[in-house]
Amino acid sequence: MTEVRRRARLGKVLAPYLLSLPAGLWLVVLFLVPLFVMLSLSLDTCNPATGGCAVSWNWAEFPQQISLYHSQFITSFYFAGAATLIDLLVSFPIAYWIAFYGGAKKNFFLLMLLVPFFVSFVIRTVVWEFILSDQGFFLGSLKHAHLLPQSFHALATGYAVVAGLAYNYLPFTALPLYVAIERIDKRVLDAAYDLYATRRDAFLRVILPLTVPGLFAAFLLTFIPALGDYINQQILGGTNDTMIGTVIQNSFLTSGDYAGASALSATLLAIALLGIFAYARLLGSRTIEEYL
Amino acid sequence: MSDKEGRPDQGSPMTDPAVWRGLTQPRVSRRQLVASAGAGAGALGLSGFLAACGVKGATTTKSSAAPAKGAVGSAEWWSKQKLHHTVNFANWPYYIDVLKGKHPTLEYFTQKTGIQVTYTEPISDNLPFYAKIRPSLQAKQYTGFDVIVMTNNSPPLGYLIDYGWLTPLDRSMMVNFDKYAGPLVKNPSWDPGNKYTMAWQSGWTAIGYNSKVIKNPGDSVGLLFDKKYAGKVGMMADPQELGSLGLLAVGVEPATSTESDWAKAAKKLQQQKSDGIVRAYYDQDYINHLKNGDTVVSQAWSGDIFQADLNSKYRDLKLLIPVEGGMSWTDNMCIPMYAHNPKDAMAVMDFYYDPQVQAVVEYYDDYVCPVPQAKNVLLNPTGWAKSALHDMQPEIGLPTSTTADAPTVFPTVQYVKDSRPYYQYKSPEELAAWNKLFLPITQGS
Repeated sequence: MTEVRRRARLGKVLAPYLLSLPAGLWLVVLFLVPLFVMLSLSLDTCNPATGGCAVSWNWAEFPQQISLYHSQFITSFYFAGAATLIDLLVSFPIAYWIAFYGGAKKNFFLLMLLVPFFVSFVIRTVVWEFILSDQGFFLGSLKHAHLLPQSFHALATGYAVVAGLAYNYLPFTALPLYVAIERIDKRVLDAAYDLYATRRDAFLRVILPLTVPGLFAAFLLTFIPALGDYINQQILGGTNDTMIGTVIQNSFLTSGDYAGASALSATLLAIALLGIFAYARLLGSRTIEEYL
Repeated sequence: MSDKEGRPDQGSPMTDPAVWRGLTQPRVSRRQLVASAGAGAGALGLSGFLAACGVKGATTTKSSAAPAKGAVGSAEWWSKQKLHHTVNFANWPYYIDVLKGKHPTLEYFTQKTGIQVTYTEPISDNLPFYAKIRPSLQAKQYTGFDVIVMTNNSPPLGYLIDYGWLTPLDRSMMVNFDKYAGPLVKNPSWDPGNKYTMAWQSGWTAIGYNSKVIKNPGDSVGLLFDKKYAGKVGMMADPQELGSLGLLAVGVEPATSTESDWAKAAKKLQQQKSDGIVRAYYDQDYINHLKNGDTVVSQAWSGDIFQADLNSKYRDLKLLIPVEGGMSWTDNMCIPMYAHNPKDAMAVMDFYYDPQVQAVVEYYDDYVCPVPQAKNVLLNPTGWAKSALHDMQPEIGLPTSTTADAPTVFPTVQYVKDSRPYYQYKSPEELAAWNKLFLPITQGS
């Protein structure tokens, strides 16, 4: 074997590793290291003044935090779940319409879906605060016309928080759904009609089953970020709808309770991972690669 | 702070400057390089990562009373400092005079002294900003700022003083301060003798209400607990503000309160929430909700109400300093340790105690002025202030006498009498106990 050939073979062996280096470094530096720091912090005891933390293997932090804040976890699940459901119901027709009837302007319609994203997340939410204000343009006019009682308010309620979440995360639902619907071979629909399927049958028995992986991907992409959201509740919510993201933020920034905040974050992360794991078991990991 | 964390650091190799030198400077022998690489590898343990992330144990102990001879902040040390003709000033947003995108008082300062000021507004909350500069202070490095502005009602100012992370001021450079500073900010309880701080502005946290809806506000904090306005009352999410109001409501002076008083106050506030009186716990945006009519009465900062009043649309908003007292806070200029330009920092800090300069700031700001004499300048402007105020008038749209006559800028005797200081936490444990009582109120579900 010549030197040149040996070198070529070595290159072949190394190439995949070298190619995965950027992604690997990214994963290690920006995900695994922070994750490790967070997990170790959750077992520390910290001084809020100096930020000094010492490992104390304080496992009690977890049950303690969960018993303090379990209701905020439950609220987060309700709100994120409701928002995701709304998003699925709203974005399915949108995605379906763009995929089947968008024609040459498909890209334009997709762009329109993304346009609100050019505005900052916080600004978009604050604008809702003005739109929904008690005496504002919308509710104020309805109250003026005596269609709503004076005491009615939308802001500072759980409904406003769910609406804000649903609004802000809609594209995360619509885009994977679009991908799923778009790749359906339109000829299978023709085949269904040839076999005397009604439009309803064709949708329920052909289209819907084929989009299930897309639905799950859309669910995960919307539900998980909505679960940890801490902006919508703070801007649109009231006194009894705090989500766990707000608690974590306050623990970090207001109390300087790094250990407690880390324990809560780790719990939230564990729940999200369980969800993804269940998804992978139900639908196989291949669909994750395709849609996420 | 606990004993364990107070112990000096047992040598975290990542923070050894020699290592950094070894890793970053090109001219090292091969042997040196290998040695430092070894040290670097050793640092890649947990402690190294944590140190790099700024979460290692503290290395400082509480500062002693007076700077030792020759130590940072002593007279000898100050006598050796030189002007560098540059200073980095970090402040809160919308807190200094603005005219056409520039700051007239800062330009005047540069013109008079030749010191260039890099003025930035990175501070929007005390604790997060403190968390940002703390790792530099722990590593004994320049934070990037020569002057920072910290509020006395939030724990970080006390932390900075306790851990020796502020440079004691140069008494000899406080000429304007000694001459013009008002009684509210001279020798204050949070910094006896102004050893570390000079006030930037002060204000009250009191009650803002809509006088169109509330005709008889009364004179008490009870207004915030009135069931008539259920669902229309705004409270502050900040645990210090919320807790202090609760203490006033149960008839206790916040500054001298005890932990059992705090529990009583928390109970009162919890009741206020479960009665459906509170609409929400707000941050800085409480003022928008008060303007919109979402709330008709709210905990409020004095300057915000004054500024809202300037707009005819919101003239119905009024400030009430209750008989129980208005919480009085002060934002303080101070010099963080390891500042590169301490002498320039002293110059700019003292410059703001010139009544002419302060009058211009106040004309824009409308918070409580630390220099009572600025009132006369606003009434009868002379010299530099005259032209600066004249230039700003079209944009502000008010006669300077409006600012001069505002009791929220130049407080009346009654206002000063009604001012109450905040509780000063004596230990991190006390602060944790306070937060544990008042944070859950704002975080209901």
